[in-house]
Amino acid sequence: MAVHANTDGRLTRAFDNDWIGPGIVSLAAVIGISLLQPAFLSSFNIFVLVSAISVNMVIALGQLVIIGIGQMNLALGSIGGLVAISFVGLMERFGVPVPLALGLALGIGVLAGMAGGYIIARTAISAFIITLAGLQIFKGINLGITEAQPFYGVPESVKAFGTGSVLGPLPWLVLPMLICSIGMWYLFNRMRIGRHILAMGSNPHAAEMSGIDPKVTIIWAHALSGLLAAVAGVMLVAKLQIGHPAIGDDWLISSFAAPVIGGAVLSGGRVSVAGTFFGVVIIAIITQGLVMFNIDPFVVQIVLGALILWAVAINRLREVRIAKLQARGAGA
Amino acid sequence: MTALQVSNVSKSFPGVKALNDVSMTMSAGSVHALLGENGAGKSTLIKIITGIYAPDSGSVMMNGKPVRFANLRQAAAGGLGVVHQERNLVTRFSVGENIMLDRLGASALSRVDYTAIHSEAEKWLKLLDLEVDPRTIVSRLSVAQMQLVEIGKALSLQSRVLLLDEPTASLTPNESKVLFRILRRLRDDGVAIGFVSHKLEEVFDICDRVTVLRDGVNACDSADLTTLSRADVVQMMIGRAERITKRAPRAQPDVPPYLELTDYASGAGHRDISLSVRPGEIVGLYGLVGAGRSELARAILGLSKQLGGEVKVAGKPVHITSVAEALHHHGIGYVSEDRKQEGLILLHSVLANAGITLWSKLANRMGFLRDSSINSKVAPVLQRLELKTPSVYQTIGNLSGGNQQKVSVAKWIAAGVKLLIIDEPSVGIDIKTKAYLHDLIHELAEQGTAVLLITSDMPEMVDVADRILVMDGYRIKGEVENDRNYDAVSKAIMGFIHNHAAA
Amino acid sequence: MLIAVTLLVFSLTLDGFTSPFSLFTIGRQVGIDTMIGLAMMAVIVTGGLDLSIGAIGVCCAMAFGWLVQILGLPILLAIPFAVVFGASLGFINGFTVVKSGVHSFIITLATMSIFFGVMIFLTKANAYNGLPPEVQAFGKMKFFKTISPLLLISIVMCLFLAVFYKMTTLGRQMLAAGANPRAAELSGIRTGRVIMACHMLTGALAAIAGLMVTARTGASVPSMAGHLGQDWLLPAFLAPVLGGTLLSGGRVSVIGTLLGAGFVNVMTSGLLLMRVGEFWILASLGAMLLVAVLVDRARQQFLKTKGMI
Repeated sequence: MAVHANTDGRLTRAFDNDWIGPGIVSLAAVIGISLLQPAFLSSFNIFVLVSAISVNMVIALGQLVIIGIGQMNLALGSIGGLVAISFVGLMERFGVPVPLALGLALGIGVLAGMAGGYIIARTAISAFIITLAGLQIFKGINLGITEAQPFYGVPESVKAFGTGSVLGPLPWLVLPMLICSIGMWYLFNRMRIGRHILAMGSNPHAAEMSGIDPKVTIIWAHALSGLLAAVAGVMLVAKLQIGHPAIGDDWLISSFAAPVIGGAVLSGGRVSVAGTFFGVVIIAIITQGLVMFNIDPFVVQIVLGALILWAVAINRLREVRIAKLQARGAGA
Repeated sequence: MTALQVSNVSKSFPGVKALNDVSMTMSAGSVHALLGENGAGKSTLIKIITGIYAPDSGSVMMNGKPVRFANLRQAAAGGLGVVHQERNLVTRFSVGENIMLDRLGASALSRVDYTAIHSEAEKWLKLLDLEVDPRTIVSRLSVAQMQLVEIGKALSLQSRVLLLDEPTASLTPNESKVLFRILRRLRDDGVAIGFVSHKLEEVFDICDRVTVLRDGVNACDSADLTTLSRADVVQMMIGRAERITKRAPRAQPDVPPYLELTDYASGAGHRDISLSVRPGEIVGLYGLVGAGRSELARAILGLSKQLGGEVKVAGKPVHITSVAEALHHHGIGYVSEDRKQEGLILLHSVLANAGITLWSKLANRMGFLRDSSINSKVAPVLQRLELKTPSVYQTIGNLSGGNQQKVSVAKWIAAGVKLLIIDEPSVGIDIKTKAYLHDLIHELAEQGTAVLLITSDMPEMVDVADRILVMDGYRIKGEVENDRNYDAVSKAIMGFIHNHAAA
Repeated sequence: MLIAVTLLVFSLTLDGFTSPFSLFTIGRQVGIDTMIGLAMMAVIVTGGLDLSIGAIGVCCAMAFGWLVQILGLPILLAIPFAVVFGASLGFINGFTVVKSGVHSFIITLATMSIFFGVMIFLTKANAYNGLPPEVQAFGKMKFFKTISPLLLISIVMCLFLAVFYKMTTLGRQMLAAGANPRAAELSGIRTGRVIMACHMLTGALAAIAGLMVTARTGASVPSMAGHLGQDWLLPAFLAPVLGGTLLSGGRVSVIGTLLGAGFVNVMTSGLLLMRVGEFWILASLGAMLLVAVLVDRARQQFLKTKGMI
């Protein structure tokens, strides 16, 4: 009955994770496009691409943590939007200094997330509906404050952060992205709360039997989601240089597409930060590539939708295969 | 020393008294079997011990102190470990992490010390002779190993009382041997082990005490197993032979079979199944839980792949792939054993439930179908069944279990099925309705319906069936003609069941 | 009951509320929102979700616009085409859901994007403004100065659906499959086909809603339902849930959906007249949705204790 940690061959092991597939595809895409269009590798283009990837990665992480617990957060974009306008609004209307405004804005994101998480935890109503309501409420508050007008008073320091670069073509925006990514990786793999979140997503019954408090875990997950949405909102303010109330309106699809491409399973318990990263890269490359080849940008929507279907199908096949293997392991 | 004491526990649900003054005494250092057929009350008793249900009367005590756990988490904290039939592990995590899942870190944001976790888990794995690297991901383990991991987890919580529910259900004979070796070691260590199983050979192999439940009461309470024979235990489980059946054996019509299976093999695991059911005949399918009977019924309905052999309906070979096809093309109906989840739509009315099989038949060309047309077909059947309901629009979830069961049978009668497969009809049903259902089945047969009766209730089987097929391990083990001589027939049946070659 | 009370309260306390024009506008919007709500209701009944309702609605409205403006098809011919188109998009959803076994949430999340993207790509985001004047006239038509034909269409559709769920085989099968798919399957219902039919129905209803919006604005505009059609999601859920259709499936209240849409619009208009900021209304609608689901949840819990779900 001896079973060692790894009975597969080295090659099988190397391929048995969530990020290799998307990683290879990303690499192929980069190589492919740059061969066809050398301008792809220009400093300017890399800057633009990495800026987009940085923001979208944080957005994707915000959804990833909720996917990990087996739920979905439809309010992600509206929290991000609310934080974005609050951030600028605080500075423009009340003259709040940048660091304080930043802290408050992030706090708003956390609170917004926690509110949703709390209601979900207490009432056990599906996260879909609660976050759908949240989407409307936060959007409504956003529009109520801004009256659909953007806040223009973004301080120079913030603008510089959003448009400046460090280390050649890399934008400063890369830094918060890296911090969040590494932070989330650490959370999922080395921190108790992360393991609890994944346990709950994977097998809520077993998790509860082991003493994991579902309410606390859900609230933590949604708070983290709100925080990440907030970070993304602030990053976008820096990048776009205005506090626009429409920030967050288009986050829904890509916030799901990237994690799903990266191997996440919507029923919960299976996430891959690296996979999500490559998912974001693939989406960004496709979007950019379409622009470069003068293809209608709305084709992106089609491709995103198709990618989601594709990735979901693959993930499902994988889960089915695992279930079959397990069933075969049982019984004589 | 008494580890767990159940005293005079009673529990009722609407319409049914599940447990009546039941007691059980589990001692430290003993393996105590809990036996009983389906519906005898075993799972209710376990749920009361673990705190999922509260008893109406009576008490549960651990180590001399009364306990009332509010949920399984508390039970674990109180020293009671339960390992269920279905696995309760986080398959994507490692073995060690699963064992220590409740002790991953001091606070939410604390770092998980995997080295410490895995070395702690190693202790328990060693105790169980489980040579598995604690860093292994659980999904890579076999089911037997997973089960041991769960036992390890219960032990690591300092459980002094360990309840195992059908632990060998998914194990090979070899794996069971290993499990028993470990259970014996735990027993010698002073753990009180509760062993719920349908496999009597195993019970006699490893248990020293036994409590048998039948129809919600103690057939025996914590008896010394060494003084009992297998026949004694079986008799306690299935009831004395005093149950006199009133029916004479029926003469069998000499007509070609309605359903005929020849060397049938299914995707669910059945092999070499050959059986036939003639119109007007009641064929019983007897077996203990896990024998594959319900699975065979489902396979006949097309819910499993046909891997070999032949299925004939009314003499013609068929290949059934869906329940809709089985019903509408071949007139085969199935009364599920799980009345609440599969037999009925509790949210809907009596009329909606009873008529569901008729909708496509009764509708006119536009697809329109009035309640009154359904009612005209269904009301006579419901009346014949003496259904007690204020109206046909009554939500079926409000009816008693017996009346619910009547509706779940009525819908097939109304549909005029030619073959009715009935799966465990009287589980959780009161005696009166039970007798009524038996009369009904006979009546149906008299009118020419072919009936396949699946039940693990021996008296029911002898009372109702004309011919009894014995199933075990997804195979047909033998056939017994029913002359209604209870002792002889039940002996013959059990003989077939215990007759499988030693592993 | 709530509607009547609210209506009464508002009409008594506000001038201009019961003016023929305001009744007309509210009534017309109720008609549209009811149709949207019916579309989502159809899929909730079988226990699923359809996020692509808005996208389907817009696609069909644009298809209609293209047929009428570019191909010159007569309106009466273009309408059934658009509805059938909606049913086919719904079929794509239903087919994918049934064959893949994946939850309809994620499938329709993807198709929402695909449908919308293809539509934008084909139309280059241009609106069809040159529709024949009959379209806009229909939207502006008034019966008795207060009732819009759009409202009447919705009421008729409600009646039709009420009959459908109560009296046709398919309708009954949908309710059964939604309440307990296993029991339905074991009783001889082909649940796969039923789910596919259900998505087709949703698609068709969404198409009609899209046509209604076109009539109201007088043009087929790609942004009529927001980015990817998201704007329809709120009214789509609010109406049925407020009206008593259980989110878990198996129970439907068609008239409730109409009343739900009515309630929402009356509230909205009332709030607007009370000078509550338009934007805060959105927030309060979200809050309303929350309340609606809390009530739905309470009902489900109640039914659970009786063992019916």
